[in-house]
Amino acid sequence: MTSLLPTTAKVVELRSVFDRERAAPSSSRTEVQTESLLAIRVSRDAYAIRVSEISGLATDRKIVAFPSPISELLGVAGLRGTLVPVYSLAGLLGYGAEAGQLRWLVLCGTEEPFALAFTDFEGYVRIPQEQLYSAEQKDVTRTHVTHVARTIDMVRAVVSIPLFRETIQERCRKYSVQKER
Amino acid sequence: MWTFGRKIAAGFALAFLLLAIIGGVAFRSIGALTSTSQSVTHTHQVLEHVAEVLSLLKDVETGQRGYIITGDEAFLEPYQTGTGNVHTVIKELRELTADNANQQSRIEKMEPLITAKLTELKQTIDLRRKGNVEEVAKIVRTGEGKKDMDDLRSILSQMEREERDLLKQRADEVEAASSGAKSTIIYGTAFCLVFVMAAGLFITRSLSGQIGAAVRHVQSSSAELQSAANQQASGAKESATAMTEITTTISELLATSRQIAESAQRVAHVAEETSSAARSGDTTVQRSHESVNNVKRQVDLIVAHMLDLGKKSQQIGGILEIINELAEQTNILAINATIEASGAGDAGKRFAVVADEIRKLADRVGGSTKEIRVLIEEIRAAVNTTVMATEGGSKAVDLGARQFVEVTAALKQITELLGTTTAAAREIELSTKQQATAVEQVNVAVSNVAKAAKETEVSSGQTLQTAGQLAGLSRDLIRLIQATAGA
Repeated sequence: MTSLLPTTAKVVELRSVFDRERAAPSSSRTEVQTESLLAIRVSRDAYAIRVSEISGLATDRKIVAFPSPISELLGVAGLRGTLVPVYSLAGLLGYGAEAGQLRWLVLCGTEEPFALAFTDFEGYVRIPQEQLYSAEQKDVTRTHVTHVARTIDMVRAVVSIPLFRETIQERCRKYSVQKER
Repeated sequence: MWTFGRKIAAGFALAFLLLAIIGGVAFRSIGALTSTSQSVTHTHQVLEHVAEVLSLLKDVETGQRGYIITGDEAFLEPYQTGTGNVHTVIKELRELTADNANQQSRIEKMEPLITAKLTELKQTIDLRRKGNVEEVAKIVRTGEGKKDMDDLRSILSQMEREERDLLKQRADEVEAASSGAKSTIIYGTAFCLVFVMAAGLFITRSLSGQIGAAVRHVQSSSAELQSAANQQASGAKESATAMTEITTTISELLATSRQIAESAQRVAHVAEETSSAARSGDTTVQRSHESVNNVKRQVDLIVAHMLDLGKKSQQIGGILEIINELAEQTNILAINATIEASGAGDAGKRFAVVADEIRKLADRVGGSTKEIRVLIEEIRAAVNTTVMATEGGSKAVDLGARQFVEVTAALKQITELLGTTTAAAREIELSTKQQATAVEQVNVAVSNVAKAAKETEVSSGQTLQTAGQLAGLSRDLIRLIQATAGA
């Protein structure tokens, strides 16, 4: 029974923190420029996705395989009432096929939306803007990586969703040209 | 291989055979010689009789003449003697020459002539007695008496001549028989001597070789016997020593047997005391068994409660999974709410704050569920450990209970065995007393054996001495044989 006491104390602490923050006036909150990131792992490498560049996060959705000359296209999945093409994030980043279930999906864009699938989601991270560095500044030359984010415990490569979109569109165009020929 | 006796017997038999042959031949020769000598004697007898017949006839004629001339009766004495003997001699001569037909024929011829002559002589004598001298002269002058006498002389001369020839022939035969007998005796004796010498030499050499080998064998055997007698003497000495030690040991054994008898008596006493202690221990063990059974029931109850606790903690784990999933979904919803709020511009800022707070709360709930999961895992591990330990305890209690049963049975068995032990100890006591008596008898017997061993030691010494004498005798025999062989 004594081992349950810290848990009870933690519940009380959570409740008090929530109540305090809700009770505090909005002016008391510091206006610091921050960047919200989703911390993920692709083949054990630490990556981050800007929350501002995605339109949603989903899990455990059924991906129906779809035949395509684009090898990174895994299939289609139903997200928010719309069929969305799902691409392998690891494939687009140049890794091989990932081991494990691709249970996490990020939905990108509202017009011509697509989703990127990956295996490991580590959490939601918010960092100050000054801890976000450009890739050139840190001499990082990975594909689709534009920035590098320093979080509390490590440095993560921040992938660019617009670059993924460009890559996908480029592949589709090439395939259309080849098909027309 | 021929034995000595057989060789000697064979040598003597051959020598005897040769001697018998020589003796037989000599006997035959001497027999022939004797026979021939008898024939010669016979011939001499015949010759004597022939000469006697002639002499008697001459005597008769001489007596007749003297009487005729003188008329004196005294001159008739040769006539009367010759007349009386001549027929006897003729008869003997006939018998002596019975095997000779010629002589018998001559005697046949001679007898009428003798009769005629004697008749003529008797006639003349009778006439002279009567005094008729003329008549006598007349008869004499006829010459018939002379003629008869001449014929008789001729016949007797023939007989003598034939007998002389026979005598010469038989003398030659005697000479030949004598020479044959001499040759047989000389050459046979020489051959026999040579054979006897050769046989003696052969037998001597053979016997020397064989006896020498046998004597050498006897010498080596006597040496071995001497060595064995030495060993036997030393062994007998060791036996005597060992017997003395055995006697001492048996005396100690006797003392030990008496001690064992006393100990067995004490063991019987102690066994009886132990038997009563074992009976009391049996009661105590039965009480302990009941206590252990109570403990076993309590332990089984604890195990059931702990298993129930394990099931409950598993159920908590399941509920926690649901909470964790809800926290994750809440987190996703909060993130999506944040995204939507940021898309709504300033109007969504407050909503974004609420969503952020919900997300933080979901994060904390997720963290807490992880901690609770760890705690539950620890509880489950503790429950498992407790269950296992309790089951181990239950098994130990079971084992203890079984062991108590076994201990009870063992105590009963101990009680029974103690009864048996008491009886056995008494039997041991009795047996040990009997054993002590037997050991005393053995002690006496061993003392006798020790005496016998000492006597054996003395006897071995005598055997050794005898073996030495035998070895010396063998050496003497070898020297004798070698000296004989050398000679």
